[in-house]
Amino acid sequence: MDLNLTIQIKNLTFRNPVTVASGTFGTSGEYAGFLDYEKLGAIIAKTITLRPRQGNSMPRICETSGGMLNAIGLQNKGLEDFIQKKIPYFAKINTPLIANIAGEKTGEFRELARALDQRKDVVKAIELNLSCPNIEEGGASFMRKRELIIEVMKAVRGETDLPVIAKLSPELGDVVAIAGEVIQAGADALSLINTLKGMAIDIERRKPRLANITGGLSGPAIKPVALRYVYEVKKAYKVPVIASGGIMTASDALEFLIAGADLVAVGTANFVNPRATIDILDGIVDYCRKNKIKHIDELRGSLKVERNEK
Amino acid sequence: MTDEWVKIINNEKVNGKYYKLVFHSESLSEKVSPGQFVQILLNASLDPFLRRPFSYYRVRGSRIEILYEILGRGTALLAKKKKGDPLKMMGPLGRPFTQSLKAGKNRVLIAGGVGVPPLVFLAEKIPVDFLLIGTKSKDEILPKKELARVKAEVLYSTNDGSYGAKGYVTVLLRELLKKERPENLFIQTCGPAPMMQAVFNAARARGIEGEASIDKPMACGVGACLGCMVKTKTGWAASCTEGPVFRFDEMREWG
Ligand SMILES: Cc1cc2nc3c(=O)[nH]c(=O)nc-3n(C[C@H](O)[C@H](O)[C@H](O)COP(=O)(O)OP(=O)(O)OC[C@H]3O[C@@H](n4cnc5c(N)ncnc54)[C@H](O)[C@@H]3O)c2cc1C
Ligand SMILES: Cc1cc2nc3c(=O)[nH]c(=O)nc-3n(C[C@H](O)[C@H](O)[C@H](O)COP(=O)(O)O)c2cc1C
Ligand code: FES
Repeated sequence: MDLNLTIQIKNLTFRNPVTVASGTFGTSGEYAGFLDYEKLGAIIAKTITLRPRQGNSMPRICETSGGMLNAIGLQNKGLEDFIQKKIPYFAKINTPLIANIAGEKTGEFRELARALDQRKDVVKAIELNLSCPNIEEGGASFMRKRELIIEVMKAVRGETDLPVIAKLSPELGDVVAIAGEVIQAGADALSLINTLKGMAIDIERRKPRLANITGGLSGPAIKPVALRYVYEVKKAYKVPVIASGGIMTASDALEFLIAGADLVAVGTANFVNPRATIDILDGIVDYCRKNKIKHIDELRGSLKVERNEK
Repeated sequence: MTDEWVKIINNEKVNGKYYKLVFHSESLSEKVSPGQFVQILLNASLDPFLRRPFSYYRVRGSRIEILYEILGRGTALLAKKKKGDPLKMMGPLGRPFTQSLKAGKNRVLIAGGVGVPPLVFLAEKIPVDFLLIGTKSKDEILPKKELARVKAEVLYSTNDGSYGAKGYVTVLLRELLKKERPENLFIQTCGPAPMMQAVFNAARARGIEGEASIDKPMACGVGACLGCMVKTKTGWAASCTEGPVFRFDEMREWG
């Protein structure tokens, strides 16, 4: 039986709905020893900033019940390195590369978008990290202002006709309302959700487990929250959504697809199982076969809601 | 690099401190050098959530041994695993200890706690002059047969003085430094951070070359999460891929 898993965002076609969440799959070949990158629907790169960033002090990560906290602080080698070293790596891989960008000022987002627009040969879409909860100066507080998110969205839109994906976190406030505003401002798709801010304490030392005190919570612990936002946003708008938040297995991914997600981004799961993406893809295929689904569209948003719906 | 389920052949206490885990794997035993490690997933249920890093302790053919101590929930769960139980192992990971040295250098290994296994592995593989091991007390001394293949002069220190020299392992180092010329020494160390810091400072003060294997909490083990960073002269380095072994002269300060 022929199974069609392809998805379209704007003029960009993905061979299947499985991608990776920014910051969890490295910057180039970190997982190449474990899987064939050309099996994936897309690859979303780690956030880059205009200039290199050192990131936060150690410790930066800590395990929690059903997940982990991270305060990496957007450590990255900057735009120039991305163009010189990372783009050539992905140029050889026949899977769409989605660059993820962050800035401390609107102008930085604009410059990044302009530079990446010049590399359409490899960069097929731009994801805006509008919500990293663990950079203290600039970024986070800057992004807390809703007008600024819209300003950034419009600025990037003005620089490129590549698909632009706005990545949101509930930390920003009312996700459904903000989603509406960024769509208005020109977003082609949304990524839901980034991590939720949290903390953990070492009771023996009475110290926070992260040097940054707080960090972003990811993993199964946030899955129900992510699922709820994907469902609510898809119900409210006709917009493609890339879902992330605790997707560990095919059944997690299927929940998001049924809730309406267009793509599913595998994040923290990569750390636990380096082949998580492939296992999830195989599981989705099995499910479709079993349920006689011929096109992934038959599955997407197929949630049956019987009560409490107006 | 592989990630595969293995079956436990043996998992038993060897003394008052360590447990020894034994399993077989063709792919995980291929091209392994002392200092490298595996990332162990304790079970498929995602609890504990993250994998745990453990050094290779011994590799003979396809037989692999891990020596570990109970430090928290994960290692306590590991100690409860029985013969035949499955574990998922990812490896070999990381940059190993340097094996070839300039002629005339005396190799000194300084180990404590979870740093003992990779250095015993190194001492079994290549000629070593001294292996200094710091422990709390006599019941933590490795059984003789665990060191049967080590050719080095093995010296112990115990905090309570119940075996070997009394005090920290740096007591042994200080004794050694009275007899040996610093420029003839090459130190390789792995153990608790305060121990390695003391060794690092002593070495730096005398211009002694060496390496330290630095433990950091890890998530991915492959350089993807940037959670395990060590401060080097050129900036942060991922201890899972650029380490865990770092040369003293690569490090800007301790840690
Ligand atoms: C490269 C590398 C090689 C290692 N090799 C060995 C080995 O051969 N044998 C062995 O017994 N242990 C080894 N460790 C340490 C081992 O990974 C930790 O003891 C283990 O992760 C603790 O897990 P837990 O769930 O029991 O404890 P947790 O509940 O996670 O922590 C309990 C205690 O262990 C300490 N701890 C946590 N993570 C580490 C860590 N990465 N390194 C040191 N202490 C830690 C914590 O500070 C805490 O005090 C190694 C660590 C690294 C990074
Ligand atoms: C260690 C780590 C680093 C991350 N770095 C980034 C990043 O640089 N940019 C970004 O947009 N999201 C980043 N994220 C968030 C993930 O992309 C993802 O949205 C989030 O973790 C939720 O998905 P998960 O639960 O499947 O991990 C990071 C997450 C983790 C765990
Ligand atoms: S453990 Fe993820 S980068 Fe080292």
